[in-house]
Amino acid sequence: MSTEQASTSAGQLLSVQNIRKSFGLNAVLKGISLDVAPGEILALVGGNGAGKSTLMKIIMGIYTQDGGDIYIKGEHVVLNKPAQALAKGIYMVPQEPLLFPNMTVEENITIGFSQNKAELHRELVATMDEIGWHLNLTRRASSLSIAEQQLVEILRGLLRHAQILILDEPTSALTFDEVESLFKCVRDLQSKGIGIIYITHRLTEVFELATHVAIMRDGIIAVKGAVSGFTREDLVRGLLPPDMDACKDGGCPVPTAVDYTKAPVLELQNFGGYGFSGINLKIYPGEILGMAGVVGAGRTELATTIFGMDKVLGGKVLLNGRDITGLKTRAVIQAGLNYVPEDRHLNGLFKISDVACNTSSALLGDGSLGKFLLNRKKEQTLTQRYVDDFRTKITGQEQAVGSLSGGNQQKVVIARSLSTSPRVIILDEPTRGIDAAARGDVYRIIHQLRDQGVSILLISSDMEEIVELADRAVTVFQGRVNGEFKGADINQDRLMAAAFGVSEEKVASGS
Amino acid sequence: MSFLKKIAKARELSSFLFLVALFLIVGLINPAFLSGTSISACFNTSVVYTLIAVGMAFAIFIGEIDVSVGSNLGFVATVVGSLLRDGANWAFAFTVGILIGAIIGLINGWGVAIMKIPSLIFTLGTNGVLRGMMYIYAGGAWVENLPKSFKDFSSVTLIGGFTVYYCCAVLLVVGVHCLLTRTRRGRYFIAVGDNAGGATLVGIPATQTKVWAYVICGVLSAVAGIIFCSRIGFVTSTSGSGYEMKAVAACVLGGISLTGGVGSVIGAAIGAVIMASISYLLVFMGFSSNYDNAITGIILITIVVADALMQRRNAVRNCHDRLAARTAESAAVKGGAPQ
Amino acid sequence: MSRLKLPGKKVSFTWNMFLVLLLVLEFVIFSSVNPKFLRPALLFNSINDFISICIMSLFVTLVMITGGIDIQVASIVGLTSITIGVAWQDFGLNIWAAVAVAVLLAALCGALSGFFIAYCGVQAMVVTLGGSFLYAGLALLISTLSSTESYQGISGFPDSFKWIAQYKVFGVIPFQIVLYLILAVLAWVLLHKSKYGRRIFLVGVNQQAAEYSGVNSRWVIMSTYILSAVSASIAGTILTAYLGTAKSDLGNGMTMNIITAVVLGGTLSTGGKGSILGTTLAAVIIGILRFGMPLCFKINTQYLDIPIGVLLIVVVVGRSLASNPAMVARLARLKQNRNVPKAVVK
Repeated sequence: MSTEQASTSAGQLLSVQNIRKSFGLNAVLKGISLDVAPGEILALVGGNGAGKSTLMKIIMGIYTQDGGDIYIKGEHVVLNKPAQALAKGIYMVPQEPLLFPNMTVEENITIGFSQNKAELHRELVATMDEIGWHLNLTRRASSLSIAEQQLVEILRGLLRHAQILILDEPTSALTFDEVESLFKCVRDLQSKGIGIIYITHRLTEVFELATHVAIMRDGIIAVKGAVSGFTREDLVRGLLPPDMDACKDGGCPVPTAVDYTKAPVLELQNFGGYGFSGINLKIYPGEILGMAGVVGAGRTELATTIFGMDKVLGGKVLLNGRDITGLKTRAVIQAGLNYVPEDRHLNGLFKISDVACNTSSALLGDGSLGKFLLNRKKEQTLTQRYVDDFRTKITGQEQAVGSLSGGNQQKVVIARSLSTSPRVIILDEPTRGIDAAARGDVYRIIHQLRDQGVSILLISSDMEEIVELADRAVTVFQGRVNGEFKGADINQDRLMAAAFGVSEEKVASGS
Repeated sequence: MSFLKKIAKARELSSFLFLVALFLIVGLINPAFLSGTSISACFNTSVVYTLIAVGMAFAIFIGEIDVSVGSNLGFVATVVGSLLRDGANWAFAFTVGILIGAIIGLINGWGVAIMKIPSLIFTLGTNGVLRGMMYIYAGGAWVENLPKSFKDFSSVTLIGGFTVYYCCAVLLVVGVHCLLTRTRRGRYFIAVGDNAGGATLVGIPATQTKVWAYVICGVLSAVAGIIFCSRIGFVTSTSGSGYEMKAVAACVLGGISLTGGVGSVIGAAIGAVIMASISYLLVFMGFSSNYDNAITGIILITIVVADALMQRRNAVRNCHDRLAARTAESAAVKGGAPQ
Repeated sequence: MSRLKLPGKKVSFTWNMFLVLLLVLEFVIFSSVNPKFLRPALLFNSINDFISICIMSLFVTLVMITGGIDIQVASIVGLTSITIGVAWQDFGLNIWAAVAVAVLLAALCGALSGFFIAYCGVQAMVVTLGGSFLYAGLALLISTLSSTESYQGISGFPDSFKWIAQYKVFGVIPFQIVLYLILAVLAWVLLHKSKYGRRIFLVGVNQQAAEYSGVNSRWVIMSTYILSAVSASIAGTILTAYLGTAKSDLGNGMTMNIITAVVLGGTLSTGGKGSILGTTLAAVIIGILRFGMPLCFKINTQYLDIPIGVLLIVVVVGRSLASNPAMVARLARLKQNRNVPKAVVK
């Protein structure tokens, strides 16, 4: 069997066969096969959690696969360390360049080589001449722009005679001109016979740059082939799950009519901050407003800035008519707004603390759990109420949250945010990385909240989720709201297209 | 080109200018200071500090710390001193001393790099053990009556009133600096401290490099112990205590960032001269040496706070620039020609 | 499945049991070697030598739970002592007013270091290292304000002050022990019973998540340094009263003992976990060690750094091994293997 695979991968630079990888019980890659030939630019497209970066980390030797094989130029290889991948001619330019900020450009590129310095310098200058970029080699890496840092990373790879170059969302932080110059470089490299894996969120880039395309969804390759054989619509369809009509069969809860004549609970007026600008939004009582977009579109920055974690650059936030712009987090919470963070491990959970500690943590600011001493009784009652309501599976309130499953962890974080009885709650990717059963529970919680008159801003990259839950939806693309949809207009095709910036929907008048 | 190089080395340069300014100010207050011997004395007294500061610099380069250098120095001084007192061969005694230093470094490296224990806590432990072993070895007594030739060797001077020891130390610092900046493995130390994630991604053996940093630190502390023994002429049970603090302060003064990855051993050596001179300079300026610790503390805190604030400002600015670039791009796309 | 749960309380309970065992072991060994060890007068008197370590370790525990470290407390002991002496002798303050001045000064010192750590984001270790220089230097400078030579120390304090170290409750229990117990209870209430204590834990576990919960994490961090500095000033006052002399270098060499007590007491050096009971037990273990070793084995007090240092290293290495994923997996497999035959037998 393996000889057969080896023969199919003979003409390829890199060939991965049936790669599988799980973290705990969570299967991230479910049998991925991909080939890259010399001079090929393979665009790898997929939503968050599709497994793109896990696959790349396996190819780089940072993770080891649970199953499957990797062939380089037809030769079966085992990659356990990045050093081995480097030796085989694979180089990855990570999304966030990992340069040594305090070293010069030249030192950054030549580190790890044993050759004579002058010789390396000559080779480096020759390489730069060949592809026509000229970087000042004596500059410190910390003074470089992101685009320049990416060029340095690419040069690092070239000097190591990389045959396979992986670019992980290289344009996510680049300006328009920088993108142009990067594309030129990538085409130059392509003409030199280097195989390139180009990870991106942007469908326009696929048609502009790539020769081949593969779409990853939920740990499988949904679609792959030469770019010429696809239209944008084909790709958008590939990004969607095949059972997108399942919701209708299962019977979506009938959305309660939102009274849009009431005064909005939360209103953003020309709100701007780092990563987004000119946002105008209104959220009405008992409404679920879906906010779609790709990672890096500025949605999380918008939420954290409202929540008082980052600096406001302009505009206003009104909560029930009260100006809460630029208040501290504690004051925002007390004013009646709470936030469920996108990255629950980093910003949501106290992993080694128990369930009760986590649930009550946002209530320490007011007097409801006692003035000075902590009222453990009240804390336990509160925790138990949420555990029962949310059907959180725990062995006891003293269980450490780190040992819960992802879904139950998320329920604890949501409980924490609800404990302060907010009028508006911002849920940022509330179902990322949790299983189907827990997802259903989270949806039920969201519906309950809406029935109680709480307004919800639901940020999600999962279009299906927004279609299922939202009364109204907006899409955010590169820091601005670029589309608004109501009722029956909310469907996955439209959301996906707007989120990827393919088509620009007219912003509904009146908002 | 040379101008740019200077900018790249600005951290050491500013430390050096600070030292020169310090000497000039003291000279203005008390012109007697500028007579040659006082200045060379400042450098000569700094030789022990220079060595442990360079050792400490390795620990700090990789983003860790070693607070056992003082006891390491004291223990090695005790062992080497006793051996010499009992008539041992110089070469033998020195070899034993350096071996001890290497073993201590290896233990520290094992604890920090392999067992992944916070370096401050682990080396605080080895510090205590070494201090106790020092008492046991010397039986609580002072190590005295060292061979006269050994003690006298410390005052042998070469050109310009600099002692042999200081000249050797300078050569060593320059040598180590070249190794660090010009060889492949030498650059790993800075790289690991600068960006550990990036280092493994380009195939640098991070754990191994960290262990080596501690071994080098241990060896240099041992050498400092031997020189200490020769210069002072006796070893007490508290010799070397507090030196770890001075070494850290010297590194910080020399422009080495405590977050790792920034600085050079030349900076550490300049910082060591400043540290060693402070009490000496205070005397010339008519202050008592009582100000010594307070001034050291103030300088240390001021520098680290300024450094931290600047780094944080840069980090925040970089993050904001990246985010701003995204929105700027969307404006550019909108303004650009329709496709 | 139930094996996966990690009830925090149970773990610290077993660790505390281990510490109690260690303490009992010490008593058994020392008293069997030298029965004099058990004499209450001697035992209680020995308290004076290590009560400072006990007091400071209580509040350094709070600092370490936030994920920081405080190695400046030892220098604040000397600063307090000399401030009391100079303020009383050379500035003619009432002795209690002098104590108040000293405590206030210590609080300011703690606040200064805490500010740099919490609000400027400098590593705690470096700031408190600099602080240990600065405050020891400050103590030395204050000592020069006195007419008495600093190496002699200021003595001749009124009896009402020395009473702190001399009064014995019911004629046997030294007053300092009562004071220590009060402080321990205070620290216990603060850390384990109050909302403030909960904030300390939350900040130590995940400072970001604490911010997202609306906790003012910077203020919480800074306040722990103030508390530890104040505890150091209380220790300095008691030590001065006991010795009857105020010196600027009191407290030298206590740092490692304090850190060892806190770490041995079960506080995670990365923050987020720890208990006052554990620290109390560990501090007493170290104190008894410092008292028993010289008494029973004729070991010079100078050598005591070895067992303490070894203790520190063994505890941290042991913990590191126990939390190593490979080791945890191996242990889990061992347990499973042990369980399988049982099931088969049934």
